[in-house]
Amino acid sequence: MSDAGRSRRLVRPLFWLTVTVLAIAAPLSLTSFWLQTGLFAMAAAIGAIGLTLLVGVTGQLSLGHAFFVAIGAFGYAFLAGSSDRHLVGFHLPPALAAVGAVALAAGAGALFSPIAGRLRGIYLGLASLGLVFLGQHILYNAAPVTGGYNGRDVAPFELFGFSFTSTNPELSIFRVPYGALERLWYLGLVLVVVGYWYARNVTNGRPGRALVGVRDSEIAAGVMGVNVARYKAAAFTVSSAYAGLAGVLLALAFGRIVPDSFGFVLSIDFLAMIILGGLGSFGGAIAGAVLVTALPLVLSHYSDSIPFLAAPGESGVGAAELARLMYGAAVVAVLLFAPGGLKPLLRLYPLVQKEPSYEPKSPGPGSSAVPGPDRVQQGNAQQPTNG
Amino acid sequence: MLCLALTACSKATPSNQPTGEVKTGPGVTATTIKLGSLVDLTAVFAPLSKSLVQGTQLFWKQQNAAGGVCGRTVEVTVKDHSYDPQKAVSAYREISADVLGMQTVLGSPVISALKPSIDQDNMYVGVAGWSASVLGDPRMQLLGTTYDIEAIAGLDFLVRTKGIKSGDKIGHVYFEGDFGENAYHGSQFLASKQGLTIVGQKIKASDTDLSAQVTALRNEGVKAILVSAGPTQTASVAGVAKAQGLAVPIVANGPGFTPQLLASPAGPALKENLTVVSSMAPPGLDKPAATTLQQAFTKEYPGAVPTQVGSLFGYVQAQSTKAVLQKACDNKDLTRQGVLTALHQLSGLDTGGLVAGTLDYTNPGQPPSRSVYISKVDDGAPGGLKVVDGPLVTDAAKTYTPGI
Repeated sequence: MSDAGRSRRLVRPLFWLTVTVLAIAAPLSLTSFWLQTGLFAMAAAIGAIGLTLLVGVTGQLSLGHAFFVAIGAFGYAFLAGSSDRHLVGFHLPPALAAVGAVALAAGAGALFSPIAGRLRGIYLGLASLGLVFLGQHILYNAAPVTGGYNGRDVAPFELFGFSFTSTNPELSIFRVPYGALERLWYLGLVLVVVGYWYARNVTNGRPGRALVGVRDSEIAAGVMGVNVARYKAAAFTVSSAYAGLAGVLLALAFGRIVPDSFGFVLSIDFLAMIILGGLGSFGGAIAGAVLVTALPLVLSHYSDSIPFLAAPGESGVGAAELARLMYGAAVVAVLLFAPGGLKPLLRLYPLVQKEPSYEPKSPGPGSSAVPGPDRVQQGNAQQPTNG
Repeated sequence: MLCLALTACSKATPSNQPTGEVKTGPGVTATTIKLGSLVDLTAVFAPLSKSLVQGTQLFWKQQNAAGGVCGRTVEVTVKDHSYDPQKAVSAYREISADVLGMQTVLGSPVISALKPSIDQDNMYVGVAGWSASVLGDPRMQLLGTTYDIEAIAGLDFLVRTKGIKSGDKIGHVYFEGDFGENAYHGSQFLASKQGLTIVGQKIKASDTDLSAQVTALRNEGVKAILVSAGPTQTASVAGVAKAQGLAVPIVANGPGFTPQLLASPAGPALKENLTVVSSMAPPGLDKPAATTLQQAFTKEYPGAVPTQVGSLFGYVQAQSTKAVLQKACDNKDLTRQGVLTALHQLSGLDTGGLVAGTLDYTNPGQPPSRSVYISKVDDGAPGGLKVVDGPLVTDAAKTYTPGI
């Protein structure tokens, strides 16, 4: 154990160092297809972290995530965009607009939270599903704000005078010209890391224990002094803020957004991400987001090189159909062979038996005898703390 | 997957050496020209896209056998976007660096989502669709005329031949979004000219049972129905109207019909009442160009059904792209800008009747043609349609300004 423990201590930082270096160097060699796919995956990861907070940690099913993502995306386009003949915009500085868009999404979440406070499980899922259809109707018809059916352009991001486009300032690193995608890549990375860090902090602290208490038994949590309605509302609001941030990044990655991207399917995709990732794990949610977003794109990227497929237009299974079939099979395979989701696969030492998680720490007050939120955490120590 | 060694596979140095005397850009080598196609092979428009791709591939196969364009063979890389803007943006990024232009991009949400990239890459795009919203865009090539002009011609046909007169009510069932709203603009225009009243019924692409809409139209006492929607919706309108005893003529835009409908329960109702207006010729058109195409198509794809806005459109769109590339070649400029310049020098382009009228791309903002075919359903004809009138330009359409 001690050997494994020592090498584990050594390997872990090395692993993360490599990942960090790779992530930072990636735009130097990745083509725009990979950068674009990566950006979509990062936006999805942020949204999935938010949904994990709601579904995995607090136990509230939401099918309305796409609605809040749409508010973030169109909110940013609206606040940062300028007015013209057809469209209205506030022309705010992009950074301020991004914050405003996240606040809008959070506000919408807060408005919906009284409903979330009254409903539970599949009933809440259905109620939130209504939001998606409502959202679609608004997006199509509030043309001055959303651009209607054909959507609207998204103003490029800008931070302290540094523009996330191919100019102003022009930038080349190792002779690789840094365009919009390359620059957004770093913005996405920072947002994912900050989003992950914040979610971990929320769940590892007192609020997280209260949320887990709410998930496991609202009555028990209430008895222990947790204000259930307030925590449920807070979880919904924070989760919506995450969705809004995901929307902002998605909008920036698109350059132009159309209502069609924010339909029911997006909500389902988000659920697939967190379920594939292993409910309740933020690292798993990120892995799930990457899988769900990138796999279909990557499969269709490579399926062309598989022999014996029908060329487009001919009858038979072509590359596009095969990519869909393989995606479906992959989802089923993950659920079958990795019942805990992708989360366990992320561990560095899958073969080393995990130490019991209640390893004797410094015996402190409340570790066994005192009933309270700490105890709730202990009972569920496996769930919220794994990365 | 990840290229790590910077020196080995850095993307830093794109090089465009001029080949021979013709200036070339991305997607062009001394022997090949590469084009891209972004269509929907797996979702709602899969049958249409498949037919379309058949037409495209057939044309380039013939053309390459006859020497290609500019001494080069033309290859079309077809990618699926499942009618999903996000997938479309990725698919576009995947192929954009390697192609000279886009042979076909299908779906107006997709085109909207791709627009910033298209503008940035200065990419030539053949649009699958006839919405007036792409007219002002110098990089998009629309083939034929717009939905609103189709609607005008359709209503005008009703007035001329079906006894519709001033004061009558006409039902218009239309999709929300580009296609339907563009057509609605046209029907409003003609209605105000002819003193007709349009009873609009806006529907979504997901609405497939139109009983409620047809009932509402019957209660209004409409004398005819115009359908600017998909084939499923046309079939529903015709079927429900017949069941309710509403025996009125039905006119549909080109994309509202597919020959597969004739085998559906709505088949008999369609045969009785449906007229289709499109600037694409029905595959069974009695002209040499169409007959030769029909023979070649049957030979290449035995068992496949030719379609007006699918295979025929795909074929003739490729044919018009060939004309653009040829012009660019004559200008000795096969770069992306060269292709766009060539496109806007084209006028009087004759497709042997496959597209109604001749095509003129020298006036941006104007539809390349204002001419249409009016066809009736005929299950004996290839593609299920037979021309009853056209190519014709209606008087009202001559002065009309397309819009949404």
